[in-house]
Amino acid sequence: MSAALQVPAAVLEARGLSLAYSDGARHVEAVRDVSLEVQRGEFLGIVGPSGSGKSSLLFLLGGLRRPSAGGVRLLGQALSSSPETNADQRRRHVGFVFQEPFLVPYLSVRENALTHVEDSDGPARLESLAEAIGMQDLLDERPHRLSGGQRQRAGLLRALANTPDLVLADEPTAFLDQSSGHAVMDLLRAHLGRAALVVVTHDRAMLAGASRVLTLTDGTLTAG
Amino acid sequence: MSQGVALAPLSARVYLARNLRRVAPVLGIQALVTCLLVTAITPTNAFEATTQAYTAAMEAITIVTPRERPILDRTLTGLLDANPSQERRQSAKMFWIRTPMIVGEAWAPLLLLDVSEHAGLLERVGCRLVEGRMPEPGSADAVVHEAVLKARGWALGTVFGEEVDRLDGTPGRFEVVGVLAGPARLALGDLSRASQPDSIYARQLPFEVVYASPGRKAASDAYLEAAKLPSGGAAFRVVNDELVRARIHKSFVNLPLVLTFITAAVAIVVALVTALLDLLLFHARLDELALLLAVGHPRRRLVRKLAAESALVALLGWAAGLALGLVVVSIYRALVLEPKGILMHLLDARPLLFSLAVPVLSTLVGSIALRVKLARMDPVAVIQRRGA
Repeated sequence: MSAALQVPAAVLEARGLSLAYSDGARHVEAVRDVSLEVQRGEFLGIVGPSGSGKSSLLFLLGGLRRPSAGGVRLLGQALSSSPETNADQRRRHVGFVFQEPFLVPYLSVRENALTHVEDSDGPARLESLAEAIGMQDLLDERPHRLSGGQRQRAGLLRALANTPDLVLADEPTAFLDQSSGHAVMDLLRAHLGRAALVVVTHDRAMLAGASRVLTLTDGTLTAG
Repeated sequence: MSQGVALAPLSARVYLARNLRRVAPVLGIQALVTCLLVTAITPTNAFEATTQAYTAAMEAITIVTPRERPILDRTLTGLLDANPSQERRQSAKMFWIRTPMIVGEAWAPLLLLDVSEHAGLLERVGCRLVEGRMPEPGSADAVVHEAVLKARGWALGTVFGEEVDRLDGTPGRFEVVGVLAGPARLALGDLSRASQPDSIYARQLPFEVVYASPGRKAASDAYLEAAKLPSGGAAFRVVNDELVRARIHKSFVNLPLVLTFITAAVAIVVALVTALLDLLLFHARLDELALLLAVGHPRRRLVRKLAAESALVALLGWAAGLALGLVVVSIYRALVLEPKGILMHLLDARPLLFSLAVPVLSTLVGSIALRVKLARMDPVAVIQRRGA
């Protein structure tokens, strides 16, 4: 079988991933020897208390942080440890959802979602996605006119607009009330398509419907 | 894949159109400094433009004087009459009328010719009498161009010359009896009075006004320049448009150096101020830039975006400054220069080119500063700080 026809078993594969850094005189091991695989269509939840290294792990998985040790493979390809050199892979294959939606303030919801869409079908796809998550009437609004829940949904729209293979979400419901949080999570799961989803959160309730839930404690990942 | 689709919302044009208030300080500084340069540089063409108008008659006639001999003797007149491109010649004397400029002064020619030749000369240089009368034979009458009258504050009946005012640079005494209009700023008087042996004017070198045949002025001037005495020396000192232009050009040979120095100093200061303002704006946009880096826009693309925004703001500021400067120098010309009879070209390439240094240097310095900041920026730190 030729390499071109090989279908990678996992969308995301991390092996021996560690992140250590110095914070003044203090040596911090934010992530310790984490290995995991996420399959296409899988929803992996990672739960842990504040300061357990959840965000650091997510940034390592997304190629935004250079690991101290170990590596990440995305769709079977090694993800460069340099955030600058893996930018193209991130832009094409990964959708990010942050605690703060980080919308560009002078762009409309539509334009925010299109900032990293590179194919000509993007605008049409965005329209149907917006309709599906109830944002069709807000596509031309600027972020300052949106409520917190609407802003987070606009963030989802941006994350999903490029039909990513992997969605990485960092406490996507942190700034939302319980019902808005659940609504955002429902939308995220419902419109993933064939993408894999990794959500890190301190709120286990937001991981309802997850294929697996892992716990991160002091940078170490354990089952359940 | 279409880069256009990806970059359209992030284009410099979109950023500028939606952040006008934010970029207004940079835009304003660029515009005001450009305006300042335009209003400082444009008037420097006034001396050249006015002097050219005062010597415009030389485009139609040529004036010659003996180079080595005290008078136009038979040898010299023989050489003049052998000029195959000459239509006719007239004896003349030439004085100058001082006209004040904003700084220094320019000089308008006062040609003394036989009164019968006045009409022909005016026709040749494209001027006409618009008020008063032409000089009488043997009189101290003078007809003077309206711009010269304006510059000196004279009118019909004004008497001028060294005999009236010892600070006046024009020898003798003349009375304004007519007003001339046209492209060549000059004055005419009668030669016969100036040629009387007891007159101070008689001590002036003899001049000949040479009229070339139509279309033959260059050939006529070349002949006069090349004419030699039997001794081998040049026969004539030739005053023509080419000489006048060369003299004017020589007067301003150091001007570009001065303008370059001033512009460079201004551009450097503006570039540093702009770079500081760019950095302030950069800090106000940390979230946006962190997000774009995080979702996979390479730094080099964002550097290009920021540089394009800087360039667009600088160019718009420059264009606005040019327009504003043009308005200011128009007003300056109308209110200050024109009443003094001083010419100034509004459309001048020099302020445009010199002031272009401001947006170019600002963009360059601003882009380098932003590039350094962006290279050091950690998007994860920004995202985590906001999320904390």
